[in-house]
Amino acid sequence: MSPIRTFASAVLAGALVLVLAACGSSSNSVSGGSGIKVAKGIQTPLNEKLTGGKRGGTLTVLDHDDFEHIDPGEAYSTLDYEVMDATQRPLYSYKPNTFSNPSPDMAAGPAQISADGKTITIHIRKGVHFSPPVNREVTSADVAYAIERGANPNVANPYFSSYFGSLVGAEKADGGPFPGITTPNRDTIVFHLTKPNAAIVIDALVLPLSAPVPEEFAKPYDAKQPTEYGNYQVATGPYMFKSNAAGKVLGIGYQPGKSATLVRNPNWNPATDSRPAYLDQIDIQIGGDTTVIGRQVLEGSDMAQNDIPAQSIVKLAYEHFRDQLEISPGAGDHYIAVDNKQGPFANVNLRKAFWAALDRTAMDKARGGELVTNVMTHFLFPEIPGFAQAGGLAGPKVDYNDYPEGNMAVAAKYMKLAGYPSGRYTGGKTLQVVGSTGSPEAEDAEIANQTLKNLGFRTKFDLVEVSAMYSKYCGAPTEAIDVCPSVGWAADFGDGQAVLDVPFNGKNIVATDNNNWGLVNNPEINKAMDAAELIVGAKARASAWAQIDRKLVAQAVAIPYDWNKEPYIESKDVAGVGDLWDVGEWDYSYTSLK
Amino acid sequence: MTRYIIRRILWGVLLLILVTALMFVLFRILPAGEPARLRAGRNASPRVIAEIRRDLGLNKSLPAQFWIYMKEVFLHFNLGYSYYSSAPVRGLIAERLGATVSLTVGGAIVWLATGLPVGIISALRRGSKLDRASMGAALVLVSAPEYWLGLIALYLLAADIGRLKIFPGADSYVALASDPWKWFTSLILPWLVLAAGSAAIYARLMRSTLTEAMGEDYIRTARAKGLSERRVVLRHGVRAAVNPIMTILALDIGTLIGSAILVEVVFNIHGVGQLAYTAITHADFPIVQGTVLLGALFIVVASIVVDIAYAYLDPRVRYS
Repeated sequence: MSPIRTFASAVLAGALVLVLAACGSSSNSVSGGSGIKVAKGIQTPLNEKLTGGKRGGTLTVLDHDDFEHIDPGEAYSTLDYEVMDATQRPLYSYKPNTFSNPSPDMAAGPAQISADGKTITIHIRKGVHFSPPVNREVTSADVAYAIERGANPNVANPYFSSYFGSLVGAEKADGGPFPGITTPNRDTIVFHLTKPNAAIVIDALVLPLSAPVPEEFAKPYDAKQPTEYGNYQVATGPYMFKSNAAGKVLGIGYQPGKSATLVRNPNWNPATDSRPAYLDQIDIQIGGDTTVIGRQVLEGSDMAQNDIPAQSIVKLAYEHFRDQLEISPGAGDHYIAVDNKQGPFANVNLRKAFWAALDRTAMDKARGGELVTNVMTHFLFPEIPGFAQAGGLAGPKVDYNDYPEGNMAVAAKYMKLAGYPSGRYTGGKTLQVVGSTGSPEAEDAEIANQTLKNLGFRTKFDLVEVSAMYSKYCGAPTEAIDVCPSVGWAADFGDGQAVLDVPFNGKNIVATDNNNWGLVNNPEINKAMDAAELIVGAKARASAWAQIDRKLVAQAVAIPYDWNKEPYIESKDVAGVGDLWDVGEWDYSYTSLK
Repeated sequence: MTRYIIRRILWGVLLLILVTALMFVLFRILPAGEPARLRAGRNASPRVIAEIRRDLGLNKSLPAQFWIYMKEVFLHFNLGYSYYSSAPVRGLIAERLGATVSLTVGGAIVWLATGLPVGIISALRRGSKLDRASMGAALVLVSAPEYWLGLIALYLLAADIGRLKIFPGADSYVALASDPWKWFTSLILPWLVLAAGSAAIYARLMRSTLTEAMGEDYIRTARAKGLSERRVVLRHGVRAAVNPIMTILALDIGTLIGSAILVEVVFNIHGVGQLAYTAITHADFPIVQGTVLLGALFIVVASIVVDIAYAYLDPRVRYS
């Protein structure tokens, strides 16, 4: 679970502005699995071929942004995940075209859950070997060490406490063994939980933290602050960072801010893996200008860009290189957080009035229009299980959600219900509105601010740099910001809990770096979320989280406006395959050259 | 003279200490810059952040942290650690310095080698078509932002995406040691782009100062003594006219890192400029501190060198 700032690509999606608004119309579009529309002729991860690619060749990837981390225990951004996916094998993983029902990867089969829901047993796949210089076969102890090191402050895994905090002894874990993880034999790992939330723990095993790490090799590096294992690492996937005989990657297969080189892992056994791994090598060039990169990719050969192209490049690709453009639906969202705890928006009817008045289509046009956005009508993303039950694209049938262009008459109705008979706010409070600088966040924030003024509010309107917006203002409850129009969220895995729990469950409100920006703390919703967390079974979970989504809409806990669709580009002779689960980024293990 | 140089160097060191102190305070005030949070990443638990704060010494008093920081910078040349790049800042800057020096020194040579002759010719042929054309071109180049000029140069002349496909384009830079010819060709476009604006300014400045100098009495005297026109212009006119240019040159060389940022980004040259740009966009403050300090060092050193050069260029200047 992560605020959308964590995904560099998602932040860069903000670069798509009005120039794209005319692109993409529903009249010439095809539907993705969720019903979300993608313009005709454009690839999506849902329709790309996973088999039959040509073997061999070197793919050159041009990325404006660098990785944040290349250690599986630290990695937590979309770019990081693309190299982790090619080099590491977590216990479970998604096929490129899905964001649900993960397949066993390092695991030999599905996880077994005990009757009381507090014990998870997983058998490890045999015949998987670490890359040089370790070379030996992977055992369950390697998976145990990989997860244990997540609690090591030198590794500082960002989601260990969120998803593995219910393991017995996790609260005191510091990187060494703890009672919550045991390995009765070489092929079996058992997780012992303090509460029956096995489903979410198993869901989290798709994250790179569960990819095996050999303790005897990594421990000396993990003793350093910060860990240097990322700079001296081994792989289990089809590719590995180019390294020397000692496994050193830094300066050889990875030069921070400059380049990375993935070569084939000589110890990878295709009989143990479903990924085809067509390419011989992936050369990743880091840095440069996005407009130059875009033209190099569109006009060049054997190239792809794995971060979001510049707005002019998406337009160029849409108009002249349409078959080299991929749009991935269901990547994340943007919404307006309003203070549910104090101030005017503690009143549910004022929140509904704001929702009704807001022109969400104008906000989405600022992001590039229908080609790269969908008007958001509730909180679960498309492609997340439960989306259809929660209302699908149209969303729940409530009058304040019925008018994407905004409806001041409906807004006036709720203003009156809130105690303002004139239909306009007449209280003395001046709202503090803090949005993010940059385009289109600033434009969206302006629209939200103007809507508030149209409802009669006086506002103090500030735009600040995105990280300051989260850390100093919207993520700091003591600041009591009334409206944060530039927040967004992306899911770590395909489960309603990953989308809804952190931003809307009252128990997740913390004093610093708070991600429940609207301070949503509704006892009924909290109770429903705590109960849904313990549900086992995909269907039952989807249904439970869909019901919670409907409750969130009924309480108008925030004002939704955008479900992202992320664009990516490739050269004409590249058969790219994007990962739906990773906001559409190219998957090196399935991509091939034509 | 020696005393003057020593005094200037001491002032330079003091200035660097002040800049370092200012950055230390500034980056601890900024909300997004706390190293423990940068290290811990998002969603980190308060316990992890607290442990990292302790490990990094951030739980010590601010004066104690400041003393440790200054000691590390000035006694051990340790500029800190980048948690974004997972590498020491000193190493990151050192491995990129060659590219930036190649770019900026080459750029400075190009702008001096083009700007000064054009200015001299324009001053000597005032009002001619050549003068009007060169000053017109200079006006255009002064007005053209480097970023825009870089993109235009690539779209017109780069071998990969250009219409004429003449010069190597973005991503083509290689180090001098690995392939001198490739190094040279890969830098032709970046040099031209980096030099364009400054060359234009220098041409206009040279034209103006030389025009003024050529009207002075000592020029008339030199001519009356029967010196050749070439000697009059170069030994008497240009030598006098070049002093104001030396002043601006010191500042320009000192601020070259700033100019290099955009050129390095457009041409994807992995130099200090691009390092600084990336660090700014990711709030990677240890690198920002390191590059600012490097920029300050450039300015201080360039100022001292120019002050000393004055004495040799202008006999009227004597330091005590």
